[in-house]
Amino acid sequence: MVLDRKVAFINLTDRSAEIKSIPLDLRKKFLGGRGINMYYLSQSYSSKLDPLSPENPLIFGAGLLTGTLGFGSRMSITAKSPESGHLGDANVGGDFGAELVKAGFGHLVITGKSSGPVYLFIKNGKIEIQDAQKLKALDTVETQKKIRQELGDEKVQVMSIGLAGENGVRFASIRTGLKNSAARTGLGAVMGSKNLKAVAVRGTLDITISDPRKYQKYYLKQMKSLMETKWVQALGRYGTPLLFQYANAMGFLSVRNNQWTTVGDHGYALEAEALEPFSTGMLSCFGCPAHCRHRFSMDEGRYQGTSGEGPEYASIGSLGTKLGNLDLQNIIYATELCNRYGLDTISTGSYIAWVMELYQRGIIDQEMTEIPLNWGNGETILELLHRIAQRKGFGNILAEGPLAKKAFGENSKDYLLNIKNFPIEMTDERLPKSFALGMATSTRGACHMRSRPSLDVLGLPEDVLKKIYKGPVSSRFSAYSGKGRMVWWHELLNAVCDSLGFCRFLTVFSSPHAPQYRQFSKWIALSMGLFLTPSGLRTIGERIYTLERMMLVRDGISRKDDTLPKRYFDESIPEGPAQGEVISRDKFNEMLDEYYRLHGWDEEGIPKKKNLKRLGLDE
Amino acid sequence: MKIKVDSKKCSGCHLCEMVCSLFHLNIINIEKSAIRIKKDDLNTSLNTPLLCRQCKEMKCLEGEKGTKDKAKKRFVWNRIHAERCPFDALSILEEKAYHCDLCGGDPQCIKVCTPKAISIAQ
Repeated sequence: MVLDRKVAFINLTDRSAEIKSIPLDLRKKFLGGRGINMYYLSQSYSSKLDPLSPENPLIFGAGLLTGTLGFGSRMSITAKSPESGHLGDANVGGDFGAELVKAGFGHLVITGKSSGPVYLFIKNGKIEIQDAQKLKALDTVETQKKIRQELGDEKVQVMSIGLAGENGVRFASIRTGLKNSAARTGLGAVMGSKNLKAVAVRGTLDITISDPRKYQKYYLKQMKSLMETKWVQALGRYGTPLLFQYANAMGFLSVRNNQWTTVGDHGYALEAEALEPFSTGMLSCFGCPAHCRHRFSMDEGRYQGTSGEGPEYASIGSLGTKLGNLDLQNIIYATELCNRYGLDTISTGSYIAWVMELYQRGIIDQEMTEIPLNWGNGETILELLHRIAQRKGFGNILAEGPLAKKAFGENSKDYLLNIKNFPIEMTDERLPKSFALGMATSTRGACHMRSRPSLDVLGLPEDVLKKIYKGPVSSRFSAYSGKGRMVWWHELLNAVCDSLGFCRFLTVFSSPHAPQYRQFSKWIALSMGLFLTPSGLRTIGERIYTLERMMLVRDGISRKDDTLPKRYFDESIPEGPAQGEVISRDKFNEMLDEYYRLHGWDEEGIPKKKNLKRLGLDE
Repeated sequence: MKIKVDSKKCSGCHLCEMVCSLFHLNIINIEKSAIRIKKDDLNTSLNTPLLCRQCKEMKCLEGEKGTKDKAKKRFVWNRIHAERCPFDALSILEEKAYHCDLCGGDPQCIKVCTPKAISIAQ
């Protein structure tokens, strides 16, 4: 039974594990996945909590519906971030989340620090701590293989760190499979700080279903209508690289650290079609009908013999155009290298873009960087990846992420485009105002996945938008009007989605017809007999988002931090389809006012007491 | 009637396994499914769906008493018979094995296979 899943509190210092039931009341308030992770994190979160200390809890959480017939079987990993110094959270697909559930667990709360390298082995309700001396410095794929070999079971699923996590690179990822990464906010470094190389799970337990016949019928109906949408058909054929084309054509791509926002016709070299010669098929995460993941193989050229999965749009942008790099084979190889080392491709690209611009402007020189940092040089990018993961020379400075500004001086600060100490990603948000606001308000720093209202790209008629968002929203992509509402709406939906374990792409993201609260409510009722109304689910989204905000408030974050990089306000886009676009401070503030009002936060962005009481967050 | 497999198309989503256990046992447990996806997820990323081929000459039941037709309609088998399969086609968990009974003529797994890696062959 889904609701029987347990939580394990594991302390690596004294090697203890306490297994507890997850109270039904907690499920009703936070569902699972990201929601319950945030509840556990909030118990110990403070501005004083050192992200790399044994006290920082590293929390794994499977979505409420992970491992069942849902729209995805994802999980979240949560801790205080060593990269931003604020809230850390990363969501990941693949097969690990479902296996954790099959082993009888919904959540793992890991604290302490082992005296030597270890990995956890969790099987059907039991937890063991195993020696990981032999796994030291192995890459993330070799680690998984070795653990399977040692345990004699090819079905074991593993989340592991690579050399980057072991070396405390502040933007290290946690990885499973060939490509799936819980990459954002540097949680691999948290895992490394605990001397925890990997978590391995294996389960064969039953999940009982409340109303099996109706549930199966309902799933089939939902799946059929999802597969009929153009969005999912295109996603299953091209994967996320199809989004690159939009961003480049419309002019909201990061090019050379957002000095430009399109590469025009040069973009053909990186479009979804250009990937086809390397693609050897499409793959799915556990329980997903859409199969949006490429597997690739490079059979000739400089990187001959490299195979794996990916790259996704975020990596193409981050290790490609953002660095002025248009060499697709180099981008594929760089992505694979990041995956092997356990580096977040997005943050890695952002920090390299930062130092390339500092080099371009003469703020740093070769005396510091050791090698010339010219835009678009693929081999330079690869060399930097090695040096960062190995913390070698200049790489050791870059491995500190935003803290590297200490080494680069005061003048370097504005060129690290960031929000809440977390770097801007593969896009530029001066054109799409809803995207800009969503980046400014995201609870994990500059991140598109907290809200990204991709529906805005479609330019749907305003009466349709009004029906979805229950209020007026402009259908113009570049307009400000109603976009506060749009962002607020998606933040709540996505919080629920992440707590169910559903995939963003299969709920209301780029298709207005995809499932949302009404469907979620039925799904939960049929699978586990838990009755949560659609509006009740939205309240859960509010509760999760507000709890995240309250943790940020403990760090002193308020309206002053819900902002955008200076470049977005002060420099208009120099050329291309979005030429002249810039963010107006006044209009941005108006969007923010509307956004706070809808959340029930005061004008400084602090949740109001009566709202906290309503959400049961006032204790 | 049998289920035809085109391994190249399999995306490895496990949906077929989930609906198989759900349809027959009212639970979700991909270990208790007559179809299983063998994954080479850390190397080639290739997935191979395995299930009973409905052989005319059933090596698995050779020398057994009783009608083979009856066994063909059964979902839960014992592991001894399953281990005789020359294709290693049946899933085995502890002492039980899971055999494709074609859902009584309306295979459920095919309905959720969006890449069409499995289909009906008459």
